[in-house]
Amino acid sequence: MSMNVKQPDGVLIFAKRECETCQMVAQVIGQIADKMPTIVYTQDDPSFPSTVSALDDTSLESSYAFDVEAVPTVVRMKDGKEVARTFGWNRSDWEKLTGLKGLGEGLPEMRPGCGSKSREPGVHDALRAKYSKLDFKSRQIRLGEWDDEIEACFDRGWSDGLPVVPPTDVRILRMLEGTSRKPDEIIGDVPPNLSPITVEKVAINAVMAGCRPEYMPVVLAALEAALDPLFTMHGLLCTTCFSSPIVVVNGPIAREIGMNSGINCLGQGNRANATIGRALQLIIRNVGGGHPGELDRAVLGGPGKYTFCFAEDESDSTWMPLSVARGVGPGKNAVTLFQGDGIQGFIDQRSRTPEQLTKSLAMSLLAVGHHKLCEFTNAMLVLVPEHYAIFREAGWDRARITEELHKAMVRPGNDVIQGAHGVGEGVDKRRADEMINKFWPEGLLIVQAGGQAGLFSAICAGWTGGRFRDESKPVTREIKI
Amino acid sequence: MKYGISFRDPTAETASVLRERAAPLDTVKDKTIALMDIGKMRGDEFIDRLEQLCAERGIKTRRYKKPTNTRVAPREMIKDIADDCDAVIIALSDCGSCTSCSTHDLNDLDKRGLAGVSVLTTEFRQAFESQKGSIGLDAAAVYVPHPLQNKTTAELHQWADAAVDEILQAIAHNTSSAKAMETA
Repeated sequence: MSMNVKQPDGVLIFAKRECETCQMVAQVIGQIADKMPTIVYTQDDPSFPSTVSALDDTSLESSYAFDVEAVPTVVRMKDGKEVARTFGWNRSDWEKLTGLKGLGEGLPEMRPGCGSKSREPGVHDALRAKYSKLDFKSRQIRLGEWDDEIEACFDRGWSDGLPVVPPTDVRILRMLEGTSRKPDEIIGDVPPNLSPITVEKVAINAVMAGCRPEYMPVVLAALEAALDPLFTMHGLLCTTCFSSPIVVVNGPIAREIGMNSGINCLGQGNRANATIGRALQLIIRNVGGGHPGELDRAVLGGPGKYTFCFAEDESDSTWMPLSVARGVGPGKNAVTLFQGDGIQGFIDQRSRTPEQLTKSLAMSLLAVGHHKLCEFTNAMLVLVPEHYAIFREAGWDRARITEELHKAMVRPGNDVIQGAHGVGEGVDKRRADEMINKFWPEGLLIVQAGGQAGLFSAICAGWTGGRFRDESKPVTREIKI
Repeated sequence: MKYGISFRDPTAETASVLRERAAPLDTVKDKTIALMDIGKMRGDEFIDRLEQLCAERGIKTRRYKKPTNTRVAPREMIKDIADDCDAVIIALSDCGSCTSCSTHDLNDLDKRGLAGVSVLTTEFRQAFESQKGSIGLDAAAVYVPHPLQNKTTAELHQWADAAVDEILQAIAHNTSSAKAMETA
């Protein structure tokens, strides 16, 4: 590499033909080369400048090695070391650096140069991956010259069934720039194999999921939440049930990274929503070893096991965000992970009052898991703006809505015990004389999201692990930037 | 083999980078073994003898022949083998392109659940290892001497005689055939 080759005393000049300033100083470069040892590196056209014989640096290896930021750059070398540099055209600087007088007569005193090709978007990372010493701990997999990298990932079992982005060094480097955390920091042990995971492995899987670097803080927070023992990710992965983590993002970061909290936010089409949830699932698969049919024993599974991640709509100031309701300060970034299934649609286009809508929502919420099962799962209600408006206009806030919904779902034990109404499923017969809640008081999570039009809210049933009230709970984590 | 793109392992690295191959059959009894001729010259003479040796052992085989050793097997052939057979013996690779293509064939059939083994000449051991690595499959191989093109048919038959037990053991734990067991 050029840095290791001892450069002769004299000057090194970096230039490119497409830079007008470089073209303007071509004669000056010739003047210098006539007087002192000069090496010119050309970034785009080896025949430029015509005044000297330039070295071809279209690979940008030397430009990278000398960390050239702009062209033209003139570097003064002495005893094999850099002693001075200047960039752009500035007669007095050039004369001082070279010790030559009368450079570029007739030219203006100064003119700024252009950006170095080695600093163009995406290029610097690629050069770093190619020419600098990398300290990745993950083992390198080398493919044959003609192998297809997407198929290679499928063949190795690293995919959820959809193509993954091959985790090349340059992509991993870029992903790691999305976090200030060190690549070798261990985040926790990923179930079911309880394998330790580093930030580097998170970045690799985030690359594969299709994340952008700025999603990394959200992916890391989601993973930390998933690995909180209270979230019971181990059981959630291995369960025969449908469930998987549903990730809800709160705070300014959701808007900064372009997450969707509006139209079709539970559906397809938004990169951040799609890939943050997918990264978490790929981590469970690749690092944790959670492969369907092996330790993932879901009898049916659900589409949420590819990805299920969205942002809460925080644009209505009357609505308290989920993260705030769960103890995170207002305006802070947070993720909440809920152990949930797919979507059960709630259709009500007739209710006009909050009382009507509460009763109506309660009827659908009672169906979660099973109409006669109580305190057996949690639930997430995704309330759309038009439904929330009915509550808001009557002055009902999050706390009131939650309280009224719980009240509307209390039923006599006789109605829901096993065997009642000729149905075997239900609550323990010994509770026949009690009044029974559908959910634990903290077990109904309400999120506001969705497009502005449509009286169609969504209910996501919770996992059966939720019956162990104190053992398995949704988890909220603040996102560290 | 030249290397192309490289990337980093996303797993916990608790296992080999090579995928475990489909498990060998418990027994060859009542199973059908595909004999896939890769289409390279002289390979058919080796396979003729292998077919004969299997028949003598009471092992049921089906012959397949690729149109050319320079490409992977046609999709229909892979499907037919997967539908009609329980394991596969692929022979006989003695060049770079046939080693590469036949290892991909072995991988395609492995992904369909067939235990398989490739027969190659010793000269292509390194090529097979490289191809295994880039495909990511811990594929099985049995080697015969190199070169084979200048050998007589009788010599190729002798190689088959010498290799048959190792080949069968690569695809089944119990290589005793129905006939042998009945005789016993």
